[in-house]
Amino acid sequence: MSENKSDNINSSSSTQTDVNYWRSFEDLYKNPELIEARNHEFKNGTTDDFDPLQLSSISRRKFLALLGASAALAGTACTDYRDKGEIVPYNVKPEEITIGKPNFYASTCTVCPNACGILIRTREGRPIKVDGNPENPVNKGKICAKGQANILNLYDPERLSVPLKKNDTRFDEISWKEADNYIIKVLNEADDKEIVIITHTIISPTTLKVLEEFKQKYPTTKIYSYELFNDSIKNSAWQKCYGSGNYPLLKWNEAKVIVSLESDFLGVENNRIETARLFTEGRNVDTKKFNRLYVIESSLSLTGLNSDYRLRLRPEAQYEFVMSMINELKNKGAININTDTSSFSLNSFALKYNLKKETLNQLVTDLISNKGKAIIDAGNSLPENVHIAVNLLNAALGNSNLYRTDAAKNELLKLSSTKDIEELVSQMNDGKVAAVIHFDCNPVYHFAKDLGYEDALKKVGAIISLTEKESETSFVSNYVLPINHNFEAWGDAQTRSNIISLQQPVIAPLKNTRQKEAILLTWIDGKAEAFSEKLYYDYLMKNWETSIYPTLNSVLDFKQFWLGALHDGIIYTNEITNNPTAINSNAVTLLKNEISKTPEGYTVVLKESYQIGDGRLAGNGWLQELPHPISKITWDNYAAVSEKTCKTLGVKNNDVVEVIIEGRKISLPVFMQAGTADNVISIELGYGREHSGTVASGVGFNANILLSKNNFHNSLIYSNVSINKTGDIYELASSQEHYSFDDERTKDLAQKRHIIQEGTVAGYIKNPKFIKEKQHENLQSVYEPHQYNGVKWGMAIDLNKCTGCGDCVAACNVENNIPIVGKDQVLKSREMQWLRIDRYYSGTADDPNVSIQPMLCQHCDQAPCENVCPVAATSHSPDGLNQMVYNRCVGTRYCSNNCPYKVRRFNFFNFRDHFKNAYQESPIFALMQNPEVTVRSRGVMEKCTFCVQRISEAKAEATYNQRPLKGSDVTTACQDTCSTNAIYFGDINNKESEFYKYRNHELGYYVLEELNIKPNVTYIAKLRNINLEEV
Amino acid sequence: MKKSFLDYIIRNRLPVTLFVVVASFAVTYYATSAARDGVGYTPSQPINFSHKLHAGDMKIDCQYCHIGVEKTRFATVPAVATCMNCHTVARKDKPEIIKLTKYYREDKPIPWKRIHKVPDYAYFNHSVHVNKGIECTACHGEVANMEKVGQMNSFTMGSCLNCHRNAHDKLPELKNKIKPGPEYCSACHR
Repeated sequence: MSENKSDNINSSSSTQTDVNYWRSFEDLYKNPELIEARNHEFKNGTTDDFDPLQLSSISRRKFLALLGASAALAGTACTDYRDKGEIVPYNVKPEEITIGKPNFYASTCTVCPNACGILIRTREGRPIKVDGNPENPVNKGKICAKGQANILNLYDPERLSVPLKKNDTRFDEISWKEADNYIIKVLNEADDKEIVIITHTIISPTTLKVLEEFKQKYPTTKIYSYELFNDSIKNSAWQKCYGSGNYPLLKWNEAKVIVSLESDFLGVENNRIETARLFTEGRNVDTKKFNRLYVIESSLSLTGLNSDYRLRLRPEAQYEFVMSMINELKNKGAININTDTSSFSLNSFALKYNLKKETLNQLVTDLISNKGKAIIDAGNSLPENVHIAVNLLNAALGNSNLYRTDAAKNELLKLSSTKDIEELVSQMNDGKVAAVIHFDCNPVYHFAKDLGYEDALKKVGAIISLTEKESETSFVSNYVLPINHNFEAWGDAQTRSNIISLQQPVIAPLKNTRQKEAILLTWIDGKAEAFSEKLYYDYLMKNWETSIYPTLNSVLDFKQFWLGALHDGIIYTNEITNNPTAINSNAVTLLKNEISKTPEGYTVVLKESYQIGDGRLAGNGWLQELPHPISKITWDNYAAVSEKTCKTLGVKNNDVVEVIIEGRKISLPVFMQAGTADNVISIELGYGREHSGTVASGVGFNANILLSKNNFHNSLIYSNVSINKTGDIYELASSQEHYSFDDERTKDLAQKRHIIQEGTVAGYIKNPKFIKEKQHENLQSVYEPHQYNGVKWGMAIDLNKCTGCGDCVAACNVENNIPIVGKDQVLKSREMQWLRIDRYYSGTADDPNVSIQPMLCQHCDQAPCENVCPVAATSHSPDGLNQMVYNRCVGTRYCSNNCPYKVRRFNFFNFRDHFKNAYQESPIFALMQNPEVTVRSRGVMEKCTFCVQRISEAKAEATYNQRPLKGSDVTTACQDTCSTNAIYFGDINNKESEFYKYRNHELGYYVLEELNIKPNVTYIAKLRNINLEEV
Repeated sequence: MKKSFLDYIIRNRLPVTLFVVVASFAVTYYATSAARDGVGYTPSQPINFSHKLHAGDMKIDCQYCHIGVEKTRFATVPAVATCMNCHTVARKDKPEIIKLTKYYREDKPIPWKRIHKVPDYAYFNHSVHVNKGIECTACHGEVANMEKVGQMNSFTMGSCLNCHRNAHDKLPELKNKIKPGPEYCSACHR
């Protein structure tokens, strides 16, 4: 039948002489196959499977009868009770566990070499949150975003779980015994060939001892340690000036004037938790004492963002700058440095680099009038001569009394120099290396490519990697051995001369992993059977008993001392830090009285990523999604360039450029970053990982390719760079709009709407009421005010102390089970963070003033979200909280639409299964969630709760102790982690509390106060310490 | 004409009306039945433990086993080791105790059937209620008289609020000691 029909169609179409419409070339050229195919309704074979005889024999009647019967059955079944599951108690309950109560264990964070003291909160044996250890004098109870997010690494489903052996191109799972036996054999047969251990900075005295014992057992062993970002240039300059020792710690809190030369001491250099705390101690609205921060840098850093005066300068000109300052100060008779600086002049320097003369004069005046109370700090990436000049200048100005003598940085093992690594590579190439052991490090990714390390590895018989997760280095290794996470491992750390901290495990290894030191101890023993879970624990305790305990003259016996040390997480040593001796007068001879050639072309400045460090944390979604503190970009790195350079290059945001340094090329997108020096390209490292798991691999661009072993300045600053536009587009995901500076509608919008209110220190002293004068008095409301008779919760944020680091965001993520949404969702503005740090620019794109403001639910008394919810899923509590009830929310999103602060977050998906291959929905993550907070699903709104779970806990505790609840009983997660104590939380109604002072501070204001919605978050206006009375 | 109208009523209107009446009755019956609230749910447990014997006849305090009830939001079901405090000696030869000992020896927990449950999004706190002086029996009934424990009261939000709002009527013995319970959302939901 169909054939006849199609015949008709065919004949009719052939008889018509229509215009020749064609849909494809086959159609046009009258392909016979196509004409044949058209004759059939379905393609050949599509209906072949259909055979009526093979259909089910159940008739329609029978089917309906079954349907009815099953419905009736289901109906009767429903009348029975529902099963409610089981309660499965312990067989024998561990003594220390009370179900529902958290336990806290003091330990040490090993995410970065700063080794902060931490307090791990566990519930029923599972670590769920990390806080700083308040006993630790360095970080004083605070911990950074990386330390917070480290908990995600513990539960990472992609952590290696068994030893792997490379078999051509794939990795086979093997037993520990097999791996140990093979490796011990290799080590024993090394003869005179070298055995190489490569590690990051050694912070643990006991690990160092293990390495030394390893050396004794296998005498051809050599140990190399490296750190991509380090202060070795600073230290070698110090040694040239002072003969010995390392660059000291500084009394940031006592400095009146701080000059940062390319130094990001509030961002990524040294221990910023401590530095930021000390720095903001010097910015106190109560005493009205403010230090003054000058920052001279090439690209806008977190330190630059917090500066009072900021100058843009390319890094090559820093030497000329310091020498010109010295010359100027000498000419003014302020200092006496016995060297010729006559070829430098501050005036011509200012002219040459187009710097504001007034700012430079101001700086000179400030340095002279604050002799002995100023600090000049040069960045770790600057060349040695700058550091020497800075050391001399600090000494000449008498600033060396701001060098701390209570403690000093402790260096257990000197980092290997580039020369050492070069020698190692040539040894490897000569076939003189029997085995390379990567001791929890990733040199294939970190080392400069022109060292040829990866190729040299091919000449090594045994490449062994001890690692938590697969990496570029493990990918080229023969044996990959999985190691314990920070929270599963024993250890100790001495990063300061005066303290040693202990690290204890809080959970048994989740996988078949081993303590990295125990693996080495097994090899030292020479028998695979030597391993036991307690191997390193016993070793550690023994080492403390024999080498640390005797030096302390403790009155306790060792067992008591050990338990006490474990409890506190820290012990104090009796070591005394020597005052720095007088500066070596010969050091001046190192300073050349000649101006180096004015740099031309482009300069690349490579920096450490604020979020993921040197790439070690690239596999951590929480950190990848933490917005960059300045650009607010997530999940990527980029080339930050100034507006002018963008114009010269003819590029705009998201345009891909090719950056070339002596043939080393990388293509990455451009981001126009306000405040970048012209002709400077600033790129963050740590991205572009390969073979490193679902999250890390392919995120951002591997700028480590640009590193070179021999560079004139050092490894992080490169001159004479060429840059080309490629024409490609790559979209960067930013969590905040980047307003254009020249658009009149958006320019200084935050200031115009009084979202940001600022003043100057001088203006505040003259008129302390300047903020309050601007405020709207007695606005009328159509609503009856709520009555708050008991405790009413409120928050105050001191913007003078907030540095904008984003640690609070990470802490909030961990505490409140906040999901990771992935780059594609950030692009759609669907990030879920309850707390964000807003960043506003004012002024020009070249010299912007930056204002930052943590923004969270303001818990308004007359909350606009509440009266638009059709199902009353958000309402007000009698203690002043704007409550969000997930199980009542139907997801209309009216509340979010009506929120003037845009702090409500909507679950567009169940992000736990939407993110990248459902990786987050791995069952193991159920262990990580805070059991006191609901895990939200798709279709509900959420927002900051003021940590209501902690409020409830405090209430229950108060009831238990039969006392009324106090405002000081509760601290929020963001407050706990804030290294500068910028966040205060408490009872608005308690007039005696410390919080009350900040709630009603004369500098306090509410954001969008004119809406009269009565927010409960007070912002304390930022004061800039500039020499003017108005901003 | 008249005939066909009657025909229409019998054939169409009547069945529809009947269906609606029966269906609404069925749905209402189902939704309000005790089984929906779980009242009367008395499942068999893996070990035939008698609260009547332990809490009633022997007058063992509730908190001897339910140790968390004063301190945390969970009353907690005792670990097997708690039972073994006595039963390493007492009644070792009884079949249920032999079962218990087997669990203990094999280091296995006992999978007790859960009887009382509030949804995951409600954070009920035992300690607050107990520390305010509210007796266990106020919600759980006279467990000390139960050979086999079952649910005595409804555990819906309505039941919670019923007591929170009328605390003084429901618990006259605590009239001068406690205030009515909180009614705002975040008291339980967070």
